[in-house]
Amino acid sequence: MGCFQSKVTRQCPGHEDPIILASQTAFSVSEVEALFELFKSISSSVIDDGLINKEEFQLALFQNRKKENIFANRIFDLFDAKKKGVIDFGDFVRALNVFHPNVSQEDKMNFAFRLYDMDGTGFIERNEVKQMVIALLCESEMKLADETIEAILDKTFLDADINQDGKIDISEWKNFVSRNPSLLKIMTLPYLRDITTTFPSFVFHSEVDEGKILLRLKLLKNAKGMAQLNMGS
Amino acid sequence: MLQHITIAEILKEEWFKKGYKPPVFEEKDDTNLDDVEAIFKDYEEHHVTEQREEQPTAMNAFELISMSKGLNLGNLFDAEEVCMDLREKQGLHLNVTANEIIHKIKEAAKPLEFDVHNKNYKMRLYNLKAERKGNLNVATEIFQVAPSLHMVEIRKAKGDTLEFNTVPHDSLITISLHFLNVSYC
Repeated sequence: MGCFQSKVTRQCPGHEDPIILASQTAFSVSEVEALFELFKSISSSVIDDGLINKEEFQLALFQNRKKENIFANRIFDLFDAKKKGVIDFGDFVRALNVFHPNVSQEDKMNFAFRLYDMDGTGFIERNEVKQMVIALLCESEMKLADETIEAILDKTFLDADINQDGKIDISEWKNFVSRNPSLLKIMTLPYLRDITTTFPSFVFHSEVDEGKILLRLKLLKNAKGMAQLNMGS
Repeated sequence: MLQHITIAEILKEEWFKKGYKPPVFEEKDDTNLDDVEAIFKDYEEHHVTEQREEQPTAMNAFELISMSKGLNLGNLFDAEEVCMDLREKQGLHLNVTANEIIHKIKEAAKPLEFDVHNKNYKMRLYNLKAERKGNLNVATEIFQVAPSLHMVEIRKAKGDTLEFNTVPHDSLITISLHFLNVSYC
């Protein structure tokens, strides 16, 4: 049977104490619990093991578990802090924390820099940026001539690469982002500010219990508190 | 005791209905069996095409890159079209029918103020809280792919997709379905 039994307290491999996670992040305890609901649904979607693997991540982002995308790969790698090839619940909460509206711009800039520094050299090189631009165009089924792409890169590097060495270091990046704050738009998820009131989610579970199927419909915590409906068969 | 009338109740009032033309929103096409075949072939992503007004030629490279779907983690929270293939769990004997599943979804949805309509194995759940433009509605359909393999498809229908993506709202719903084993009797 799967990892998620009918009991409230679960001993799943990825599960960490919400109180500890709340103390380490901008989330409250109830927000961490709400994130756990989201984590559960993503982490059981392909293999029910309490961990998010690459396919499950792709399924959650693109509704297509086979969809390969270099940006999703980078995000996945950054979430997978322990480099295990899977994301556990602690990883999930700590990484999503960076996207919280209340977290500092500094933290967001750092995360974005690591995101775009694909090979982890400590610099965002021109060829990396070109690779990412091409990937984006491909994803959007747009085609641009090479000269046009080069022109975009020229303009970007003229603006960002202050010492004109063909790569962007962390201080140049921070300077660039301060002048172009919309570049950090992707680093904030407004949903996270009031995750328990922003969306009531319900998750259909099927669990096998003594030969019966129980369909559980859970109303994710909203302002009125957790509502849970169980229906036996 | 005086109570405020809800919008859902207003919509039912005779005086309101006089001369009222409900707005019609673009609805997604009903599912067809291409989705079933897609399970056997590699599943092709169904794009939600967003209207881009500008040509990106003068754009900064990072602005361009930011548009990637892979960088939009808001997608983790949205209700989107979800197709999941479902495999029979080993060694388990299950005898729930598709009709029973439909019945259970209906029972569950009612206290949450969803109205449920179904025809054969297609269902639609209508959010009765009409507080915003276009109700959030959810369509589900159960397909049999093979005798031991079924798929339940759940997707949003009606309502403003772009608005869901940009504005968190308390009628936004995330639905996921786990390993539901369904058989037809």
